[in-house]
Amino acid sequence: MFNLLTLSWRNVWRQRGRSLLTAGAVGLAVFFALVYQGLIGAVENGMYNTLAQAVGHLQVRVAGYRDKRELRDLLIPGAEAVKAKLQQAQPQAEIVVSLEVPALLSGESRSRGVLLVGQEQPPKFAQNFRAQFLQAGQMPTSNTQGIALGAALARALQVKLGDAVYAYAPNTQGSGAAAYKVVALLHFPDPAAEGRAAYLSLAAAQALAAPGGATRLELHLPITRYSQDSLVSALRPALAIALGPGLSVETWREVNPSLAQVLALLQPLVLVMMLIFFVLAGLMVVNTVYLGLLERTREFGVITALGAGPAKVTWMVLLESLLLCLSGAVGGGLLGVGLVTILSKGFTYPGLDKIGGTFGIPQVLYPSLSVWAVLGTLLFAVLTGLLAAWWPARVAAQMEPVEAMRFNA
Amino acid sequence: MPSRNLVEVKVNAVLQVKNLTKIYKVDSVETPALRGVNLEVGQGEFAALAGPSGSGKTTLLNLIGGLDHPTSGQVWLGQQRIDGLSKAQLANLRLWNLGFVFQAYNLIPVLSALENAAFVLELRGESPAERQAKARAALETLGMGEFADRRPNQLSGGQQQRVAVARALAAKPKIILADEPTANLDSKTGIALIEHMRALNREQGMTFLFSSHDPRLLEHVDRVVYLEDGRVQGVV
Ligand SMILES: Nc1ncnc2c1ncn2[C@@H]1O[C@H](COP(=O)(O)OP(=O)(O)O)[C@@H](O)[C@H]1O
Ligand SMILES: [Mg+2]
Repeated sequence: MFNLLTLSWRNVWRQRGRSLLTAGAVGLAVFFALVYQGLIGAVENGMYNTLAQAVGHLQVRVAGYRDKRELRDLLIPGAEAVKAKLQQAQPQAEIVVSLEVPALLSGESRSRGVLLVGQEQPPKFAQNFRAQFLQAGQMPTSNTQGIALGAALARALQVKLGDAVYAYAPNTQGSGAAAYKVVALLHFPDPAAEGRAAYLSLAAAQALAAPGGATRLELHLPITRYSQDSLVSALRPALAIALGPGLSVETWREVNPSLAQVLALLQPLVLVMMLIFFVLAGLMVVNTVYLGLLERTREFGVITALGAGPAKVTWMVLLESLLLCLSGAVGGGLLGVGLVTILSKGFTYPGLDKIGGTFGIPQVLYPSLSVWAVLGTLLFAVLTGLLAAWWPARVAAQMEPVEAMRFNA
Repeated sequence: MPSRNLVEVKVNAVLQVKNLTKIYKVDSVETPALRGVNLEVGQGEFAALAGPSGSGKTTLLNLIGGLDHPTSGQVWLGQQRIDGLSKAQLANLRLWNLGFVFQAYNLIPVLSALENAAFVLELRGESPAERQAKARAALETLGMGEFADRRPNQLSGGQQQRVAVARALAAKPKIILADEPTANLDSKTGIALIEHMRALNREQGMTFLFSSHDPRLLEHVDRVVYLEDGRVQGVV
């Protein structure tokens, strides 16, 4: 035995071509929305992790460091103790200690001014660093005089792996000059960064310029998703209090505000795109539902005459619109989730590294969808169905049965 | 002659119409379709409205059926006055008290004969089992049991109209209103349909009021009310 649901379902498919086209439009909107969200989510997480890897989730430096130029003003007093405090506050975090020394770096025939980075890399961080940037050789260890250079910098200095380079860092508390062996070449997506990169072990940098010194402590938390970032901001005030007024604690956002802004724009962009998709599909739904109503004016007149009140007639029209949208949404949803599942194993396209590099987008994206993203998109489709049916439903509810039955389509 | 101002409501009357007028107004042209009609239909009656085309039969049936509002006068369904009810109230009244058979059958094309016969019961929210049983019984009463699963476009005009009568019958209304139910049928099929309705009237006591201008059909009727130019001309 039928009910209003089956009746609406049969009515929807009476004009099969038109309904398929319209359901297809809704399906396409759902499909695009899902794939888009999947990709944007991957871009977001990718950018987030690249940024966090580069500067840490949280960064400790001396207060007012942006206005200070001299190395001695930038040194964190009691760096070892500060590091211990951080580690105690966040035992599961990795702490990267860096000493940045402005220096002149020379090969046999050429020189460049660089910011030497002496870095003590904890295991996970080191592994990520190698995976992302190491092009050739081995990263310097603490008991060698090795240096890792950006490949572009090495070219500029006309040196290669195994060659010697000389660093001059005058007016410091260390030796002020040292020779290093090029042990690694690094590749960075951003060419400008590659032209400046020069990494030593922390011990080597300290010997050169500041025994026991450090200019920067990075806190790397075990967070890989942008959606979990609120934890980072929540952590900051407590750390700032624990470390006292002489030090500044900044999140990655404050360290790199422009990229943080780009990152914050991605979600609203998705929303705007989704709105556009669904408004377009919704207009088609309005058209289809309204045409169906016009063609069946007599029938609506009969149904009203037999005793269906305005509420029931409204419901019948809404139901048709919802069924149309949902059948499209289920189709588009399956395809969208399917495609994202396939792409989730890793996805790239030619040129992504070039465009993406400057924004810190990794070269391989791993799109994924949360259950909420899927449900939210389906909700969009349902809302589209309801809104699209609003006006036709009003028209149907206001029909006069006598006039409607006299109507000939 | 009863006084015009005196309103009496008869207890055994299913339907009473008092001094009913209807003036259609189209682009400030007024067409008086009914000019003071009085009519009564008793419980279990099999009554017909007759009269030439344009005499006001459809208008009168529409007003009785709560499908339109009169210009003046009263319509009583049992003890309830229905002219002046709101749209939603009228819909509810039609759903629970009135049966309709239209000239153009007006079955729902995507529903089978059985489902069409059950349609009003579905609107009333009855359970599937209940609907099924009542609709099947009504179809069988009209000799349409074997066509239960056919869609309207697989039925002849006479068969469709019998399904339409079954749709009205299954809901057991107080009265079934039928506006020229045989006008689209050939005369043999038309007479067969009227005989079916007559049998329902005799066997189940169902009250009918229908309109027709075919004199041969009117032979089967208890009482014929003749309309002319919006007035009752006589009752036979
Ligand atoms: N919707 C309408 N608008 C204007 N005039 C109408 C309308 N319906 C009926 N009429 C007029 O009212 C009169 C009665 O019509 P109707 O009730 O249809 O008569 P019948 O059913 O006996 O043929 C006719 O003159 C007709 O032209
Ligand atoms: Mg008529």
